[in-house]
Amino acid sequence: MKKGLTLAAAIATLSMIATACGGNDNNNGHASPSAAASPSASASASATASAAASPSADPAADISGTITFLTNRTDMVDKEYVDYAKRFNEKYPNAKVEFEAITDLDKNTKVRLSSGEYPDVLLIPTIPNSDLPKYFAPLDDLGLNDKIYFSDYKASDGKLYGISAGATTTGIVYNKKAFADAGITSIPKTLDEFYAAAEKLKQKGIVPLASNFKDQWPLYPWASEVPISISGDKNLNNDRINSDAPYAMDNPYGQGLTIVRTMYEKGYLEPDVNSTNWEQSKKDIASGKFGMYMLGNWVIPQVVSSGTTSDNVGFFPLPYDNSGKTNVLLAPDWAYGVNKDSKHLETAKAFVKWMLEDSGFDDFAGFIPVLKDKQANMAQLTEFQSYGPTTIEAAADSEESTAIVNKAQIVKEAMVQEFVLAKDPQKVIDAYNKKWAAAKKALAK
Amino acid sequence: MNGLSYQTQKRIILLCFMSVPLALLALFTFYPAVKLVWMSFTDWDGLEANPTWIGFANFVEVFTNRDLFGVFLNQIPYAVVGIAQNAIAIVFAVILNSKLRGRNGFRVLMFLPFIMNAVAVAFMFQYVFDTTNGSLNILLGAIGLDGLARTSWLGNTSLVNFSLASISMWRFLGYNMVIYLGALQSIPADMYEAAEIDGAGRWQKLARLTLPNLTKIIQLNMFLTLSGALAVFDLPFVLTKGGPAGASETFLFKTINTAFQFNNFGLASAMSVVLLLIVVVVLSLQNLVIGRGGKDA
Repeated sequence: MKKGLTLAAAIATLSMIATACGGNDNNNGHASPSAAASPSASASASATASAAASPSADPAADISGTITFLTNRTDMVDKEYVDYAKRFNEKYPNAKVEFEAITDLDKNTKVRLSSGEYPDVLLIPTIPNSDLPKYFAPLDDLGLNDKIYFSDYKASDGKLYGISAGATTTGIVYNKKAFADAGITSIPKTLDEFYAAAEKLKQKGIVPLASNFKDQWPLYPWASEVPISISGDKNLNNDRINSDAPYAMDNPYGQGLTIVRTMYEKGYLEPDVNSTNWEQSKKDIASGKFGMYMLGNWVIPQVVSSGTTSDNVGFFPLPYDNSGKTNVLLAPDWAYGVNKDSKHLETAKAFVKWMLEDSGFDDFAGFIPVLKDKQANMAQLTEFQSYGPTTIEAAADSEESTAIVNKAQIVKEAMVQEFVLAKDPQKVIDAYNKKWAAAKKALAK
Repeated sequence: MNGLSYQTQKRIILLCFMSVPLALLALFTFYPAVKLVWMSFTDWDGLEANPTWIGFANFVEVFTNRDLFGVFLNQIPYAVVGIAQNAIAIVFAVILNSKLRGRNGFRVLMFLPFIMNAVAVAFMFQYVFDTTNGSLNILLGAIGLDGLARTSWLGNTSLVNFSLASISMWRFLGYNMVIYLGALQSIPADMYEAAEIDGAGRWQKLARLTLPNLTKIIQLNMFLTLSGALAVFDLPFVLTKGGPAGASETFLFKTINTAFQFNNFGLASAMSVVLLLIVVVVLSLQNLVIGRGGKDA
């Protein structure tokens, strides 16, 4: 009997572990071969910054003990992390860092948080910001608050609990050879030029923009990033809670959706948008059969590894209107957080700072560095910045707007699909406004 | 154990052996089922430690929200194709039950799709149904049906569910057929001999002898097909993500989205309970219809 129970308990535990694994995180494995991390360059670039920020005269002295960092980059274990551990130890001779890599970071980290047993440094999972102080130590004393992007993204009551590992942005990823073949000599700066470029690609027999319409998720920029860029207001999504009809043909949402609808009507998307294939599209962009993606810079390393060279892939901000000026949204990746009960709190904090300033991880991962005065090393990001877009830092989704979206069961990518395919897009707008208002009313009770 | 009687010892042994499977059954079947029903009366969001009891509100929502309950319309093609699938399976079973050269090879061929992994099958059919490069459209073009060769099998709102249902037909046809085949072989040969002596033709033997003897098995296969049709999930999930514009969403698809995308585990549990009840209702109706038909014949 007892044995049976033990066995049952063992199986229960095993099955829990098994269910907790599986699936993989979106941000995994975007390692870019092009962004060969040159530690010496980034180290020297930030040496001044760290010197200025050091509070005590000899900071290395209090930094001691062994800490553990929980990461989602399983691909870096036994490779880059060995080097990271060595270099961290060189800077702080009394301290050591160990790396523990897991898959399905978000779910697993939540389980660990609720059990109370979690490592010193970890990537903050998707928990409400109001819960941050329960688990994490404030990082304000690192003196980075004014120097980083997203200083209020993982913050609660004015204190900073998490610093993003890097930033990503969204724009047009394009095949340079396809552009040259189609006779596009300069990068489109206005929406009309953008349509004209698409027309040239189409004339050349190249699919201008790979929307990956059928797979739904690749449509996300049209429903979120583009409208926010158009409005120039990072709180656009959150401010929906003040309205019973947040969507309209002539507001930023409608404008963003209309661009992709126009592309569809003019035949600038795949020949049959309901029959697209994400994996194949990367190869087609790489080979020049498709011209462009509207996606985040995370896709660039994937396109490169699908069969082209890095210098054939370019990146520019989507010109969503004819003003010639563009806003682009910077979105954060996972944020580093420090266990508030860590035995080596100072070491853990020093490690976070070291990861941001000295490790070269952002270049390795193809991120825009989260430190504002640090330059991105990736050629495509340099190109992107050269068009001089105004950056908008993403705001965290408010709990109120998330609650309404969940109650109304709005899938923003599905809305893009319906809007594009509908005979009368106004009806789609009306339907979503109705859903929104009903959910808002139901929650207000 | 020396002091115990044989009876007691037997009971103890029985209990010991039973306890393991019973504990597993209770832990992994009964406990989750009871928990599911309980959750369907709460507003649990997947994290909250103490969900609130909200009575029948979730069930009211399931039945009044057209977005949730209306998707059953998308599943009608699966049921229609499922009925056709059973008819075809019987035909194949009868054919492969006769003395046919290489019939074992054909049986294996028919059964093979069922062994394949459901997601792999769905993935494979992505390449079949692809509009521009799909093998189906290339075949149609090659045999001269150029008009059909540009069909968007998964992109046409009125076609998509039939396209998907045809995949599940391809997959489960062999499985149904094998069950029918087993039943056919259990029909005593002397009944056929007697029918032949009475001068029954082929068709008469099929209609008056084979089919009535298969009633129970048809019932079983229809049970499997209809409950399968009510719980379709993998095909639209892999192939269409519910698109285009929600035309291929199924009830189970909605349930999973409700739970894992919109964090409304309470409502999702209520949807699961409703699905269970619907399966029970549909199957009792079906038993009533087929059972009565069997008696009349």
